[in-house]
Amino acid sequence: MARRDIATLFRTPWIIISRSLAFIIQLFVFAYLMSGLITSYHGFFGYYAVGSVVATVASISFIIGYDIFEEAEEGLLDYLLTLPIPRREFIIGRALGGAIRAMIYTIPMFVIVAVLENFANPLSLLAAFLDMSLLAFGVTGLSITVAVSVRSANRFDVVLALLELAVSRASTALYPFNYLPGYVQAIAPYSPVTFAADSARAALTGFSLDVLGVAGLVAFVAIFLGLGATFYFRRLEGGVYA
Amino acid sequence: MSAIHLIPRVIERDVKILFSDSFLIGIMFANFCIDLFVTAATFGNLIGSSYFLRIAPGSNLITAMVAAFQSGRDIWREKYIKDLASYLLTLPIPRKVFALSRITGGVARSVIATFPGTLVISYLYGILFSPRLIEAFVIVGVFSLGIVGLSIAVSAFASTVEVFATVRSAIQLYLSFLSTIFYDVSLFPAIVQPIVQTNPMTWAMQAFRALQSQGSTLYPIAILVGPSLAFALLGALCYLWYTKL
Repeated sequence: MARRDIATLFRTPWIIISRSLAFIIQLFVFAYLMSGLITSYHGFFGYYAVGSVVATVASISFIIGYDIFEEAEEGLLDYLLTLPIPRREFIIGRALGGAIRAMIYTIPMFVIVAVLENFANPLSLLAAFLDMSLLAFGVTGLSITVAVSVRSANRFDVVLALLELAVSRASTALYPFNYLPGYVQAIAPYSPVTFAADSARAALTGFSLDVLGVAGLVAFVAIFLGLGATFYFRRLEGGVYA
Repeated sequence: MSAIHLIPRVIERDVKILFSDSFLIGIMFANFCIDLFVTAATFGNLIGSSYFLRIAPGSNLITAMVAAFQSGRDIWREKYIKDLASYLLTLPIPRKVFALSRITGGVARSVIATFPGTLVISYLYGILFSPRLIEAFVIVGVFSLGIVGLSIAVSAFASTVEVFATVRSAIQLYLSFLSTIFYDVSLFPAIVQPIVQTNPMTWAMQAFRALQSQGSTLYPIAILVGPSLAFALLGALCYLWYTKL
C-alpha cells in the first residue's frame, strides 16, 4: 500500500511541478526580495528558507487526503477494498506511504537549503530530517482524518487548503515568533509545524536538540495517526463508501 | 423568452451553486482573515505599520482569485464528475450567451464571496461610508473578470483535476509573487519587470492603493480592464471550443 501511494505521487508529475515551482518562487523571489525590505530581523532569508522546507513537508503530506477523497468519489476505493489486504494494514500502509513520499519529495529542497545556508553537520541534518519526518506522519494522519470526515468535494478542497494555510501561517515556520501578532503568538507554540520548524532550526543552526519540540511532534503523530486510522477504519467498515 | 432574458437565470444558477454551501463562503473569509491578520500583520510588525495597509488589499484580491477559480472548477466538475455538461448544452440558450453568462456568474460569485473582505479593506482605508466604496467593488469585479476567464479556459483544457490544480497553482503564484502585492516593481530584476507590470494583480493593487491615498483610480482601473477583458474573452472562446467537442 505504501509503495502504491509513493508511486501514485510520482506518477502524477503535475503535483510535483506545482509544489516545486511554489517552493522555488517563494524562496528565490519572495524570500529574497522580502529579506531586502526587512531590516528589523537579521537573516530573514535563512530563517524563511528552513521554514519553507518544513512548510512544504506539511503541504505535501496533506495530499494523501486528496487521494483518499478522490478514490472514494471515483469508485476506486471499492476495488482497493477487494484486495487481499487486511484493513489495518491497508490504513497503516496509506499513512506510511503519505509520509514517506512527502519526505522523498522534499529531500531535493532540503539539499538546496542546506547548500545555500552551509548546513554541513551530518548529525544536525539527520536530526532536522527526523523532525520533518515526524511532522509528515502527523500531518498525513490529520489529512486522512479530514478526508474521511468531510463529505462535499468543494468543501473538502477548501477545508484542506484552509487547514494547510492555518497550520503553516499560525506557526514559527515562516515568521519569527516575536514578530507574530499577539493572538497568533498565543497559539503558535502549540502548532505541530512550530515544533518541527523550531526543532529543525535548533539542530541546524544551534547544533542542539529541542526536546520539547520533539516531544510535541511525537504527541501530534500519536494523536492524529491514531485518529486518522480510527476514522478511516470506521468509514470502511461502516460501509459509507459502498 | 429571449436569450438576453436567460442571462440572469444562468447567473442566478451559478450564484445559487455558491450559496448551496454557505460554509464554503465562511471558509473563504477565514482564508482572507489568515492572510490579512496573520501574514500581513506579521509583515507589518517586521517592516512597519504602513506596510500592513500597503499589502492589506492583497488578502482580499487573493480571496477573489480563489473564488474565481472555484467557478472554473465547478465547470470542470460539471463536465468530468457530474456529467452535467451535455444537459446544460441542450438548454434553449445560444452558446455564446451561455458562455458570457457563465463568466458573469463567476464574477458575481467572486464579488459576493469577497464582499466582507472588501468591506474590511474599505474600513481600513477609511472609505467604508464614502461613495468610493463602490470603486472598491468595481476593482474586485474587474479583477475577478479576468481570473474567471482564465479559470474557465483552464477548465476547458484540463482533462484531470491534477492538471487543473497545477495550472491554477501556477497562475496563483504568478498573480501573488510576480506582482506588486508585497514589493515595488523596481525591486525586481529588469528582465522580470515587464511580467510584473502586465500582471492584473499589480493594477488591482495600484487601484486599491489609490483609494487609500485619496487619488484617482481611473488610470489603474483603465489598465486593469485590458488584461481582464482579454482573459475573459479567452475564457469565453475556450468554453465555446469545449462545448463543440
